[in-house]
Amino acid sequence: MSAFLQRIGKPGRGALLAAPGVFFFAIFFVVPLVSLFLLSLDKPSIGNASVQWMFDFRNFERFFGRALYYEAAIRSAGLAALVSAITLVLGYPLAFLIAKTTNVRRNTTLMILVLCAMQLDMVIRLFGLMVLMGDVGIINEFLRWIGIIGDEPLPLMYNFTGVVVGLVQFSLPFMVLSLVGVIQGINPSLEEAARSLGARRWQTFWKITVPMSMPGILAGLLLVFAISFSSYVVPTLMGGWKVVVLPIHIFQQVAELGKWQFGAAIAVVMFAISFLVMLIYQRAAAQASGGRI
Amino acid sequence: MSNGSKKLVDLKRRGLLKGGAAAAVLAGPVSLFNINHVWSQDVMWDGQPFDAGGATIRINEWGGFWQEFMQKNAIDEFEKTYNCKVAYDSSFPWFPKYIAGGPEAPAFHMGNWNLNEIIKLGRAGDFFLSTDELKENLPNAADCWDFAFGSGLGITWGFGQYAHVWRTDLVDPAPVGFKSFWEDRFADKRATYITSNGLFMTFFMTAAAEFGSGPDDLEAGFEAMRAAMPMKISDFTGNMQTLVERGEVQMGVQWEGEIFLQMDKGIAVAPLTWEKKPILTQTHTVSRYSDPMEKKLALALVNTKLDPVFQNKAADTFYLRPSNKKAELPERLTNKGVTNTADALDGLWIPDWNWYLDNEDEIVETTNEIFAG
Amino acid sequence: MALADKSIRREAAVPFVLKLLAIMALILLLAPVVVVILAGLNSGDHLTFPPKGLSLRWVIAFFQSDAFLPAYLFSLVLAVVTMIISTILGTSIALFLARTEFRGKQMVRAFFMAPLMLPGIVLGLALYLFYLSSGLGLVRTMPGLVIGHVLVTCPYVIGTVNAALVGFDTTLEEAARSLGAKPLKTFRAITLPVISPGIIAGSVFSFIVSFGQFDVSLFLTPPDSNPLPIALYSSLRYTFEPTAAAAGIFAIFLVVVSMLITAKLTNLRQLANVNFS
Repeated sequence: MSAFLQRIGKPGRGALLAAPGVFFFAIFFVVPLVSLFLLSLDKPSIGNASVQWMFDFRNFERFFGRALYYEAAIRSAGLAALVSAITLVLGYPLAFLIAKTTNVRRNTTLMILVLCAMQLDMVIRLFGLMVLMGDVGIINEFLRWIGIIGDEPLPLMYNFTGVVVGLVQFSLPFMVLSLVGVIQGINPSLEEAARSLGARRWQTFWKITVPMSMPGILAGLLLVFAISFSSYVVPTLMGGWKVVVLPIHIFQQVAELGKWQFGAAIAVVMFAISFLVMLIYQRAAAQASGGRI
Repeated sequence: MSNGSKKLVDLKRRGLLKGGAAAAVLAGPVSLFNINHVWSQDVMWDGQPFDAGGATIRINEWGGFWQEFMQKNAIDEFEKTYNCKVAYDSSFPWFPKYIAGGPEAPAFHMGNWNLNEIIKLGRAGDFFLSTDELKENLPNAADCWDFAFGSGLGITWGFGQYAHVWRTDLVDPAPVGFKSFWEDRFADKRATYITSNGLFMTFFMTAAAEFGSGPDDLEAGFEAMRAAMPMKISDFTGNMQTLVERGEVQMGVQWEGEIFLQMDKGIAVAPLTWEKKPILTQTHTVSRYSDPMEKKLALALVNTKLDPVFQNKAADTFYLRPSNKKAELPERLTNKGVTNTADALDGLWIPDWNWYLDNEDEIVETTNEIFAG
Repeated sequence: MALADKSIRREAAVPFVLKLLAIMALILLLAPVVVVILAGLNSGDHLTFPPKGLSLRWVIAFFQSDAFLPAYLFSLVLAVVTMIISTILGTSIALFLARTEFRGKQMVRAFFMAPLMLPGIVLGLALYLFYLSSGLGLVRTMPGLVIGHVLVTCPYVIGTVNAALVGFDTTLEEAARSLGAKPLKTFRAITLPVISPGIIAGSVFSFIVSFGQFDVSLFLTPPDSNPLPIALYSSLRYTFEPTAAAAGIFAIFLVVVSMLITAKLTNLRQLANVNFS
């Protein structure tokens, strides 16, 4: 009985605890966002950025009616999904390495290296990537030198590949950081037990380690999806104007053409897609943790 | 001014907004509007320095090294002379900030930017003082060449000619003429800009003029863009500089000033000035509905930028040609054959931004399709 | 420990394929960093690679720069303020969400994650419009900018604190309370030590994300005080300079130093634990 009362008592106190955060989000996130959504339901009018309460759907009709825009939506989501997958494949081993390295100095160094990469500013990072991946960049010059390619350079930048590489490079630290703690937190006796029962390293890895690190995998995938889906700078600087994703359209509409209403409509579509992905994540996460010991 | 009276001015401002704008359209920018407008007195500045009592004006202008130069050569002195503070916003784009507030609550009191953005904003609302009003209030304006007032919305204080930038050590024989951009040897080694960049817009119009019947020949322009593929698309001139320096691009759209600056750093490039002579302009605007003190300060600051001595320094640092007749050209410009005379301005062409903006939607969409391949 | 355990431990080393992929990932992460560092130490006149020689001239220019050094310091202050506010708000929200059950909790969780789902430029613009129309006097001010940064960093804090809470055994708290300890004391003595790695991790995330934040800052920056990413972008639009690379070096330097300090306080690997569900 007392336990039950304590549990009722908790929400009361908890609600007080969360009040400032909820209040903050309500004023500074919900209200601006709702205004933006209302703006998307106004008739387009250049130079006007205030809500007119028209409840007109023509902006959405325009979006879904022209291939230019709905293809961009598919491109955005596909790009984000691809980047998430690649980042997982590259990031998991690195996270595994950091988690399993017992030498404190070594794993601290690895962590610091990962955090350093996070800290490099995006625009100057472009210079670094251009030096590496450009037509006369280090990679191409190397391939040319060892004779794999002739005069024609491998087009690594200013196209879809460039954007994927740029986004993976940018999101890797986030994926790694989502995974290290979880992998480390796996009870080592589980792995030891499996091994003493005769399981090889790879079997242990696939049957114990990976499934048990699922919460981290899902969190990392979600985070990287969000980051790549909403990225404006990387597709702009690395895509050579061939990879036009939704954030670029929004920026063009609002910041250059003054068409706030249409820009807001595109933002609404982005929000809807991400919310869907978020719900998928939660479903998957619930199932994964259902299997936990 | 006490808060109470300030409110009165605000109310009257809103009431007269429509009337004033309508009157301006009907009667021309000078006579009727000025007489009827409630602060026609405030628009007047006698050209003399005054004490602003610590007021702050907001300006939008380019950042980085440009900002450092402006602070050192114009703004620091200005802040002392007029007892004011200049809040310098260098985070482009400024267009949406102006739009968000509307003409009556200007995001900035004064701006230095490019004509295409200024005219676009002018079409969206009555944001800026007209050139006639500016001429009335700026002593230095009297000394400027006529083309400086061509836009009707701002004063151009500096300009430079468009040119292709090309790598002298990678390209042989030397390219000749605007159309050399389209030669096969430059396939995927040439670059222009994204559609939102003014340099692209001028490039498009020049291509239309060179390959078609005139700068408004849309089809010719589109054909030229198609024929130029494959080509790289750069976001802004700083990025173009890097592309050229790295050798990723051997020929690109640029303007003389930046090419000369690169040459000074020892990079092996040279300009190929366009025969049609379009010019890239730096233009000042003053927001119409600023509060009186800020507006006077904005006018005074623009005047400072039109000063011949300042223009000489800007020319020396950026290779920016002055619009003030009295400005002396620095040696680094004169030894490239540039003069500040009426003859020198002969044939210089400012593109028809109004035409471009009328057709912008179609140009942007078609060009983006072409660029996307 | 028996000999058998020792042999298992030795063999528990990372399989070769995984090590290879890990090294590839590290190279991908660090190659641009190395290029930028070398470019910033270039003794030549312009931004180029490979550097003509090594010199500190551009690093010194960075210290003397009117544009970059103030921007760096502003970013620092901004990141610290954002970190503090985000950590407090995020932790309280995470605690609340982990402890209470109610219908639609998943939607609420998704909702608090939402700032990450929208492009930063959209958030920035929406906030800019909101500040203008609300008359709260936040437009073009630092508090206005902080609010934007807090919105995009809070989800990280919620994620890391939530991860720390997932395995937390609430019966410990109940035991303490039934022994008569007041809620605040219970929190400090029992809960806090367990979730502190999560809180520290969230703080570190907030700091790094805020320091490098460009999209949200683009429209919310007050004139005259630019965060470093904006200052770099504004400058690089016009001229690619080695000073910009030097600024990049210093940002990295900051991370290395602060992480070395943090490493003294806690095992850095503890930082990396995130869970949004």
